[in-house]
Amino acid sequence: MIRRHLVLLAVLSLLAPAVAGAEMAGVTRNRLPNGFTVIVRENNAAPLVAYSLLVKMGTRNETPETAGISNMLQLMMVRGTEKMSGEEIAAAADKLGGSIDAYGDADYSEITATALSRNWQAMLDIVGDVALRPTLPDGTLGAVRDFLVRQIRNRGEKPYDVASDQTRLALFGPRHPYSWDYIGRSEAVQRLNRDTLMAWYRRQYVPSQMVLAVSGDVKSSEVMPAVQRLFGAMPAGKAEAPTVPAPPAMAATREVFKVPGAQAQIFMSTLAPALTHPDYPVLKVMSAILGGGMASRFFSELRDQQALAYATAALYPPRIDTGSWIGLLGTGPDNVAKAEAALKDQLRRIQNEPASAEEVAVARSYVVGTQQMDRRTNARQAWYLAAAELAGLPHDYFDTYAAAVKKVTPADVMRVAKQYLGVVRTVIVQPN
Amino acid sequence: MSSARRSMVLAISLAVLMAGCATRATSSSSAGSEPPPPVVETLPNGLTLVVQDHRAADIVAVHLWVATGVRFEDPKGLGYAHFQEHMLFKGTDTFGPGYIDRAVEGTGGRSNAFTTYDYTTFQILVPSDATKTAIGLLDDMAFRSKFDPKEISAEREVIFEETRIQTDNPRDAIVRRAYSAVFGDHPYGRPLLGTPETMNAATQKDLQAFNHRYYTPENMTLVVVGPVQAKAVRALVDQTFGKRPRTGYTPPANPPLKPITEPVRIKVDRPEQQAYLVLAWQAPSLAEPDAAALDLAATILGGSESSRLALTLRDTERLVSRVDMNNASQKLAGIVYIRVQLEAGDVDKVERRILEEITRLQREGPTEPERELAVTRAESDHATAYETTDGVAGAYGITMIQATLDNELRYLDRLKSITRAQIQAAAQKYLSTTAYAWIAFVPRRAQ
Repeated sequence: MIRRHLVLLAVLSLLAPAVAGAEMAGVTRNRLPNGFTVIVRENNAAPLVAYSLLVKMGTRNETPETAGISNMLQLMMVRGTEKMSGEEIAAAADKLGGSIDAYGDADYSEITATALSRNWQAMLDIVGDVALRPTLPDGTLGAVRDFLVRQIRNRGEKPYDVASDQTRLALFGPRHPYSWDYIGRSEAVQRLNRDTLMAWYRRQYVPSQMVLAVSGDVKSSEVMPAVQRLFGAMPAGKAEAPTVPAPPAMAATREVFKVPGAQAQIFMSTLAPALTHPDYPVLKVMSAILGGGMASRFFSELRDQQALAYATAALYPPRIDTGSWIGLLGTGPDNVAKAEAALKDQLRRIQNEPASAEEVAVARSYVVGTQQMDRRTNARQAWYLAAAELAGLPHDYFDTYAAAVKKVTPADVMRVAKQYLGVVRTVIVQPN
Repeated sequence: MSSARRSMVLAISLAVLMAGCATRATSSSSAGSEPPPPVVETLPNGLTLVVQDHRAADIVAVHLWVATGVRFEDPKGLGYAHFQEHMLFKGTDTFGPGYIDRAVEGTGGRSNAFTTYDYTTFQILVPSDATKTAIGLLDDMAFRSKFDPKEISAEREVIFEETRIQTDNPRDAIVRRAYSAVFGDHPYGRPLLGTPETMNAATQKDLQAFNHRYYTPENMTLVVVGPVQAKAVRALVDQTFGKRPRTGYTPPANPPLKPITEPVRIKVDRPEQQAYLVLAWQAPSLAEPDAAALDLAATILGGSESSRLALTLRDTERLVSRVDMNNASQKLAGIVYIRVQLEAGDVDKVERRILEEITRLQREGPTEPERELAVTRAESDHATAYETTDGVAGAYGITMIQATLDNELRYLDRLKSITRAQIQAAAQKYLSTTAYAWIAFVPRRAQ
């Protein structure tokens, strides 16, 4: 449950910078001959260790026919290995004072584990076992599939989820993998079986597409050789590069959906540049001005002054390919017309009037601070290290990114606002 | 149970719930990187200051904990503790509305606030060079807030939205219903966010009166955790909070608790297709010796990945898709509850099976591996809370309000000394199979 929040936070905040210099000092990297990368960060603040095994596999690698296969594979990975059943895996992790879990996402999938650091070796063995010898047992496959189908069904009942799903669909079109949530599509998930999942595992779990990052009260000199013993034996294999279709050209659209509930959701969205695009840091600052924090315009104006929303935010998740920017607010059903006009007005104003120097400065600090705050725990540290590595970002990326953010001016903000927010798609979900 | 003023996104509310009630962490007994002990001081005006040196990151957590909350409200002023909390962000004599957010985020920091039955807390997380800013802001908010009538009307609508969100989220909403089922007319059974009548009636005078009565130095604990020195922090506090006069505040008498003596059953028709079931009981307060034994019983029965209910109902019998169990302590009495997510047709069967598993624990007690595992789990939760400065500040704050700092610092040692017989006894004493609250959320269409 909490893990999903971490994912959400990651989506909100990924890759803003850090107190990099000092922290990077305790980090060791090693690429094994088969292409597998290990990163160890020593941190003795608490007697804990966290593992993040990231694979460059996600919805981005899927088609409408396999939508959800990466996430389902991940869920099955922790449900049985040649040595242990799923229950035994969970029980073993519990006994080590930790947990192990796995899930898919848009670009990357993660096996994440934590333990009391005195048990680091035993937990590493479990991570290795899960990643290298999964059996994807038929016995639990049906239950996992039912669970996923139910989760997909439940999404259709939650106003917020319906609004995000419909927004994605409008932006990317039905065949683009970013148009579905990592959890997938019901028809596709219902057809997945052990053979298709095993074939997917063999295709995707290729050492050059994998990074294991370790953060905690451990010694790199002990962890490195142990990881090498476990993962060094994987055959090198061949990595695949997915061909992602181009999203349809942006057009102004407006759709209304009815879902039972007490709240209405209004999402305005546009296609937005990938993580590696030079506009990324600028758009991140623009996004923070609009809906980044509690000093943001959405929060202070739409929520605090006009009382048109309780929940409001701007989302700009980092993606390997062209992704999305979404401005959203949740409001009472009677407020929809007013809230829609107000949100639209917000998008217009940022294109036409320069933000004040103070506002831009607060937003820059917010973007930089977000990542610093998000990286407080070992689990998040490990995830950031692994994700940056898989994205092919330079090791000083967090520094250069922070520097780029700190240079953003009011004129830059107005330029990207004009470029990206001129045409938006609107999705409204209302109680019926 | 807590209510957050400032969740940016819906999903955060669950994390809040965890922060509000489940944090029950303690000091590490492992050797090696043992942190120095906290420094506790009482200022001449009665304010308590707790400072903990913590050097995991260059981030300082500054938390103000006020020993007031929903249970202190006047029956005509339900919701005012939380309403008042919101208003502290809406402008002071010194700063206009929105200033606090800009000031905090302008340092790269974050702020948050929660209201529960026992306490209200305001939390600022900043890079360490902004510690002074954070302390100054909290002092200003607590003692010099304006309660501008225009801001009050706008904020009232925000709180109504917050109510709608909580109603929409079944996992939170069902636990809220459990509080009212378990505590009945006692203030712990009240709605956290008030009623439409009381909320609409709230005036500047009302909210200001609540603030003046309860926001006094004697009723506050300030917790500062990070790469800081106690002396330097004390100097900053002396110049701010330290200058506020004592008011002679004494807490009102605690209303008596009525235990549940027969089953309470509440069935709610809901828009979702997913059904939820909660069984809940009154639990000991944080300071009672039984609390830790019940914590272990809850972990063993339903509070971990390999708990009895997870292994039987979820994994083997597949009657539920999710199960959790929490012993959420409070100052006067806590609540212990089992929550499952299931299909509507299985509600009766699952209730019966849960009662059977409780009975089995009461008859046979836990096994030694189960006890060990529950202790390990607690150790790990503790380490996780103590990983970050805000985790430590949260744990200290809760214990200062509900028990004592010592209670927190010795929690893990106490937990390790609890025997299987004590766990069994706690299950017998608190998890009655005849008198409990039963709350079911069932899909409307299945009726």
